[in-house]
Amino acid sequence: MPLSAIAMLIFGSVVLYGGLTYFLYRALKGNKK
Amino acid sequence: MAAVGSAVGLGNVWRFPYVCYENGGGAFLIPYFVALFTAGIPMMILEFSVGHWARSSPPKAFKKIGKKWEWVGWWTVLIPFILAAYYVVVMAWCFSYMIYSIDLRWGINAEQFFLKSFLGITSSPAVIGGLRAPILLGLLAVWVCVFIILYKGVKRIGKVVALTVPIPTILLIILTIRGLTLPGAIEGISYYLTPNFSCLLDVNVWLAAYAQVFFSLGLAQGIMITYASFLHKKSDITNNAFIVSLADAGTSFLAGFTVFSVVGYLAVSQGVGITELGIGGPNLTFITYPTAISLLPFAASFFGMIFYVALLTFGIDSAFSMIEPVTSGIHDKWKISKAKATGIVCTFGFFASLIFATGGGLYWLEIVDHFIANFGLVAIGLVECLVLGWMYKIHKLREHANKTSDVLIGKWWDILIKFVIPFVLCILLAVALVNNIINPYMGYPWWIITLGGIVPIITIFLLSFILMKIRGKGVET
Repeated sequence: MPLSAIAMLIFGSVVLYGGLTYFLYRALKGNKK
Repeated sequence: MAAVGSAVGLGNVWRFPYVCYENGGGAFLIPYFVALFTAGIPMMILEFSVGHWARSSPPKAFKKIGKKWEWVGWWTVLIPFILAAYYVVVMAWCFSYMIYSIDLRWGINAEQFFLKSFLGITSSPAVIGGLRAPILLGLLAVWVCVFIILYKGVKRIGKVVALTVPIPTILLIILTIRGLTLPGAIEGISYYLTPNFSCLLDVNVWLAAYAQVFFSLGLAQGIMITYASFLHKKSDITNNAFIVSLADAGTSFLAGFTVFSVVGYLAVSQGVGITELGIGGPNLTFITYPTAISLLPFAASFFGMIFYVALLTFGIDSAFSMIEPVTSGIHDKWKISKAKATGIVCTFGFFASLIFATGGGLYWLEIVDHFIANFGLVAIGLVECLVLGWMYKIHKLREHANKTSDVLIGKWWDILIKFVIPFVLCILLAVALVNNIINPYMGYPWWIITLGGIVPIITIFLLSFILMKIRGKGVET
C-alpha cells in the first residue's frame, strides 16, 4: 500500500475516531457535573 | 441520540461508497474531509443553534428570522421529502435482500442477480417497464413502518435509535474484517485511500463531496433544525454537533473499507483493474455486500439476514427524520393533528416512490439523486448560509450556542458561515451547472434530465413560496 494511503488511513482514523472519542468523553464528563 | 440515528444511515453505507468509487476513490477523500470541516460541522452547529433557539419546525424557525424567509424553511423540508421518496426504495431493496439472505439467492454473480433478476432493469430510463412486485412489497412495508414510528412521536425515537445505531455498526465491523482478509483487498483499500491530487482540480469531485456531506449529515434538509428544537434547553449544542458529524463521517469511512476491500477482491478475481469493474452507481453496495456475505466462512445466511435487518434499521432512522420536518411544518402551520399530517405525507411519499420501483427505476433514482443532492441540497445550503449569515445577526446564534456549550466557538465560525461557505458553494454550483449544460448527465436526452432533475427542483422552489403565501392556522410569531 502506498505511503500516501497509509497517511490517509492514519489521518482519517485519528481525526474521525479520535475526535469522536474526545467529544464523547467531554459529553460524559459534562453529564457527570 | 435521535440526531445521530438520523445522520448515520444508508447515506453512509450505501451512498458514500458509491460516490467515492465514482469520483476516483482516494481522489474523493480529500475534498470530503475539507467539505466536512469547512461546511459540514459549521453548518451542523448553525442548524442546531437555529432549532434550539427557535424551538419549532424549520418553516416557523425561518419565519422567526424574518416573515419573508418562511419559504426557505419550506424548501428545506420539501427537499428531504423528495430524497425520502427514493431513499425508501433503497430500503425496500434491503427488505428484499433480507429475505433473499435465507438461501443466499444472489448466488455467485451478485451483479447479474441484482440488475437482471431483481430489478429487471430496462435498456434506458425512457423504458419504464412494469412495477417490480418484491420492491413494491418492500416499499409498502417501509412506508407503514415510517408512519407507525412517526405516529408514536419523535420523543420516542431516541429509544428506537439506541438499538438501531450500534447493531449495524457492529455488523459492519464484522463484514469489514471479512472483507480485509479477502485476496485483492489491499488493492481495493489502496484505491480507496490513495489521494489523487490531479483530481483536486475537478469541480465535479468537490461538488459531489459537499453534496455527500450535506446528504449524509442531514444538512439543508430541516432535519437537524427539527431535532434541535426537541433538545433540552441546557443541551451542549457545539459538542452535540461534533459528535453527530464525527459519528456520521466515521461510519462512512468504515463502510468504505468494507466495500472497497470487496471491490478489490472482485477486481482480482475477474483479472481486471478496479476502475474497469464497471459496478459503480447506486448498485455498488448491492453487489459488494452480498458478495462479502457469501464469502463469510460460516453462518453466512444468518449474518446476511442480520446485516440487512441492520441496514433497514440504519435506514429507518434517516427515513423518518426526512419525513418528520415536513409533517412538523404542516402541523405547525395548519394545526392539524400530527397523525393526520404523517398519514398525508406518507401516502404522498408512497406514490412518489413508485417510479423508482419500476424496471427503469434505477436510472431515475440516479438522475433524481444526482440533481437533488448535487444541486438542490447544495443550493439550499447556500441560501441557508446567506439568510442566516446576512439577514440575521449571526453572532446572536453564536452567542446562543456558546451559552449552553462547553466548547466555545469563535468569530471564525461567523466568517465561515457568512463568507467562506457561500463563496465555495456559489463557485461549485456555477461551474457544475455549466458542466452539466455542456455535458448532460450520463449523456441522457434533455427531456429526461428536465423531468428527473429540473422539474423536481423548480416544483419544490415554487411550492415553498405557495406554502408560505397560504395562510395557516398556526400561532403567529
